[in-house]
Parts: sequence; structure tokens; C-alpha cells
Amino acid sequence: MRARRWLLGRLGGAIATILMVLLLNFVLFRLMPGSPDRALARNPRVSAEAMQAARVRWGLDKPIFPDQLIAYVGATIKGDFGYSVKYGGREVTSVIGEKIGPTLLIVGLGELIALAAGIALGTWTGWRRGRFGDRVGTLGALILYSMPYFWLGMLLITLFATTLGWLPTSGISTPGGPGGIEGAIDLLRHAALPIATIALGLIGQYAILLRSSVAESLREGYVLTARAKGLRDERILRGHILPNALLPTVTLAALNAGFVIGGALTVEIVFSWPGLGLLTQEALQSRDYPVLQGIFLLLSVSVVMANLLADLLYSRLDPRVRHGAAR
Amino acid sequence: MSASASVNLSTRIRRRVSGGNRIMLLLLHRWDARIALMILSLLTLSGVAPEILVGPLQTATTATAAALLPPSGTHLFGTDDLGRDLLNLTVHGARISLVVGALSAAITLVIGGGIGMIAGYRGGRTDALLMRVADTFLILPTFVLALILAPILRELIGDQTEIFGIRTTLLTIVAVIGFTSWSSTARIVRSQTLSLRERTFVERARLVGLSPMRIIARHIFPNIRTVLVANGIVVIAGSILTESTLSFIGLGDPFQPSWGTILGNAQSAAAPSLGAWWFITAPGCAILLTVAACTIVGNAIDELLDRDVRVRR
Repeated sequence: MRARRWLLGRLGGAIATILMVLLLNFVLFRLMPGSPDRALARNPRVSAEAMQAARVRWGLDKPIFPDQLIAYVGATIKGDFGYSVKYGGREVTSVIGEKIGPTLLIVGLGELIALAAGIALGTWTGWRRGRFGDRVGTLGALILYSMPYFWLGMLLITLFATTLGWLPTSGISTPGGPGGIEGAIDLLRHAALPIATIALGLIGQYAILLRSSVAESLREGYVLTARAKGLRDERILRGHILPNALLPTVTLAALNAGFVIGGALTVEIVFSWPGLGLLTQEALQSRDYPVLQGIFLLLSVSVVMANLLADLLYSRLDPRVRHGAAR
Repeated sequence: MSASASVNLSTRIRRRVSGGNRIMLLLLHRWDARIALMILSLLTLSGVAPEILVGPLQTATTATAAALLPPSGTHLFGTDDLGRDLLNLTVHGARISLVVGALSAAITLVIGGGIGMIAGYRGGRTDALLMRVADTFLILPTFVLALILAPILRELIGDQTEIFGIRTTLLTIVAVIGFTSWSSTARIVRSQTLSLRERTFVERARLVGLSPMRIIARHIFPNIRTVLVANGIVVIAGSILTESTLSFIGLGDPFQPSWGTILGNAQSAAAPSLGAWWFITAPGCAILLTVAACTIVGNAIDELLDRDVRVRR
């Protein structure tokens, strides 16, 4: 019973967040310079009747609240995000749709690698808190955390692509390159540096968080008990410390999703990786607001979903949350 | 100085000096914070007086050197694709990056602190609503929101004027960062306010009949000031990172280049694939050092505050 109430609460929160995003997007649409009828008004050859007809067609003759808001929310839910300015009036959904795959590839793999490496590094440094290895590892994590993603990417290109010549500098594939398995290898070679950039940029925060939560767990009574039972260090770490220390990482990984996406957008620009990031920059340069808002909406919904998933996962991992014992 | 002497000194400081000054003095007794503060003062110095250090800002017309020269005796950090000296650009960039970072942080703290104090003090429905909004901003890809908001705001107010010597293009960035990054400050301030609200001196002020606004201003705010400073330093680091990213993407001001703008220029000039490592080294290291130093100082203050609370108990 309690578990279901908790679940419903989370679900309600997620829906409320998405509604707020819609509201925000709606307000931005109204603030926007060159909104549909203003663009028409600048053109002296458009007659007053044509203007009025367009306003009626777009629903601009109705009051902003609630009619226009309802129309906007209705259209968005049906998947009508409007039309791109730059791409000759193509639907925003189709412009954005084809860019999702490449972004998902580098962000997904980068995040996975960062989680694995960050957990390993954080556990190791937390376990040897105060020793030399901890100092070096923590300094490394701080440096990685303080670097802008795009700068890290530029450094990696300069070193591994330009100077050493191991990997291509940019793009997603060699133009006119082979297909099949060789094509897949070509794709991976192009993806290697963008993935490495995102992974390296993220490792720092996961490592710092895990270090402090491992170090905190070390002081707990159950660790002392485990020690007293004569368990080996490795057993204590795996069986007693990590299950508890990993919990905040789940939340951070989800909470950070929005932040990661922001960083990943700039990584794509550095590597000319044809995903949402490059699309964002293009749209920004041509002031293609419908596309920008579509991207914002898509990313927001994904991030809200990620957080909902993390909440569910958290409640699986930590029964106290589910039963309302701890907040 | 030996370890025991330093411990003695810090206990003496703890006893005699009070409040924010004590935190500052204790801070100077940690070697990592000392290095970080040194870096920050150096950067602030170059931000305050770039003209004295490297002369006026070089532009495409005043640049004298050849393009993309590697570092040498005359150009310590090399030159960019227009022949501008990178030392000159980076030192001048310090002013823009630090001022935009500090102003954005100030706005973030005002919004976050205000919302946090009101939510924490009022409680109930106000609290629930405000925290719902804060959570939304915490989760959302606010950076993407900033990307959309900046050009809209710019077209609304126009970008030809200057206010206090800062161009409005940069002020829109300040406003946008402030508007999108206040939520974690609000959360921290709220939880502090919640515990302060139950303390006797606040209750007494309520009994005497002070209005909520007065209680917040006179009794709550002074007690969260140190927490706000610690958070503020971390917020500055975040703002500088966000500013550099926005400028990198091309939302900066070409006439007042920040470190991010220089890196954006390097990207359009294809510096990484030309092997012009010096083009990205100086501005990038400046960002890295500033953000790392701010993070170290912020964490150190946090730790000292934690210990302070424990000692008093």
C-alpha cells in the first residue's frame, strides 16, 4: 500500500515536471522575436485579410490563456512540434529524429564507461583514504571534473588524431568508406574519441562521490562487525560497503543526465559528430527556434524518464525507501 | 611549521576569532586552500588590471604578429589565427570570464537564497510549490534552456548598448545563467532555514511581533551567510564553466572575448586538427585552474563549517 502510494507520488512528480516544461516552452514561444504573425507583419505585401486568416489558422486570434496554451499542449502531445526554419519547413520531429541515434551511441557508451571506471576509481581511493594513491586519484578526479568537455575533446584531438595520427579527427565515417564489418570498425574508430571525452569528463564526479560514500561506510558499525567476524577485505568491500555506497551514485547518475547531455552537445561540435549537439549549434546559428525547442523538450522528457527509472531502481536496491522508513 | 604548532594555532584561532573571519583564517592553514587562494588572487589580479600587465586588448586590426605562431620568447603562449598574442587574450579573457562568472553567481545566490529562505521559513504549501519548481530546474537540461533563452533575450533587449562597461550580450548570459542555476542553492538554503526556524531566538523574534520579512532579514540571513559564501564559491565555478560553454558555442561577445570565446575561435580555426596546441592551452588551463581552485576553496569551507558545528555540540 505504502509502496504504491510512493510510486504514484513519483509518477505524479514526473508528470508535473513535464507539464512545467511544456508551460516553459509555451511561454518561450510567445516571447520569441519573429513569432509567426510578427514575421508576416514585417512583409508589406501581406494584406490585412491574409494576416487575419493566418492568425485564425494558427489560433493566434484566441486569447493566450487558456485557448492557445491548450492548443499548444494538444499539438505537442500529438507529436506536432512545428516546422524547422532552416530545413525548408520540414517537420521538427523528423529533423530531430534522425540525429538521436548518433547522440545516443556516444552518450550511452560514454556514460557506461564513466560509471564503471568512476566506481572503480572512487572505491579504490575511498578504501585507501589519506594514502598516496588516494591523493593522486582525488587530484586526478578534481582535474577531470574542472575541465569543460569541449576543451578535453580538443586536447584529445590534438594528441591522438593530429599528433599521433591514431584516430580520425572528426565526422562519423570516412566519406565513401566501406560498408559491412569494415564500416562498423570505421564507425567505432570515429566514435572512440567522442566517447572517451564524455567518459573522462564524467569519471571525476562519480569517483569523488563514491570516494566519500565508501569512506563514510567504512566508519559504520556493520563494517566493524564484518571485520570482527574475520571477513577478508575483499568480502567486506563487495558484500557490505559497496551495496550501501553505490546508492547515491544511482541518484547522481540520473540527476546528472541533464548536465551530461549539455556537455555532450559541445563534444559533438568539437568532433563534428552529426547528432543533436551539432544540430543544436546549426539551429542556434540560423535562429531555428522550433528545432531548439523540440530538442529541449525531447531532452527534458528523456531526463525526467531517467530520473523516474532511477527512483524505481533505488527502491529496488533500498527497501527502506519503498516502505517509507527513510526519506 | 610543524604539524603540532599548526594545530595549536588553529585551536587558538577557533577560540578567539568569531564567524566568517575565523573560517577565513582557518582556511589559510590548509595547504590546498592556500594554493587555490593564491591561484584565484593571481587570476583576479589579471582580471582587474589586464592593461597594465599585457597592454590593451589586441584585435584583428591591432595584431602585429604572424598567424598561428607557436610559443616563443616574444609570444610566450603563441599567437592565434589572426596573429593576436594569446597571453594578451587570455589575461584580458580573465576579466570577462571572472566578471560574468561572479555576476551570474551573484544572481544565482540572490534567487536561490531568496527562494530557499522563503520556502524554508513559510513552509506548507509555499514550500511545496517552490521546491517542486526547484526540483524541476535541478533535473532539467538547464544548459539547453540557457541556449534557447540567451538569443531570445538578446533579440528582445537588443545588443548594442553597454551597462557599466559590460556589453548587453554578456549581460544576457549573466541573466540566463542566474535564471537556470539557482535550484541547488535554494535547496541548501531551505534546509538551513528549516532548522533555524525552530531555534529559540527566531521564536522569540516571532513572539515580539517581528514580521516574517524582518525575521528573515535580521535573524535568518545572518546565520546562513557563511553557508551562502561556501556555496557561492562553488556556484562561481559552475557559472564560469557554463559561461565558457555558452561562449564556445558562439553566444559570447567577439568584442569582449572570454576564455570560452577564445576556445570557440580555436574551434572555428580548426586548431586541434592543425596541431596548434598552444591556441587551446592557455585559455583552457585558465578555466581548469579557476574551476579547480574554486572547488577546493568551497569544499574546504564546507569541511570547516561541518567541523565547527561538531565542535560546538
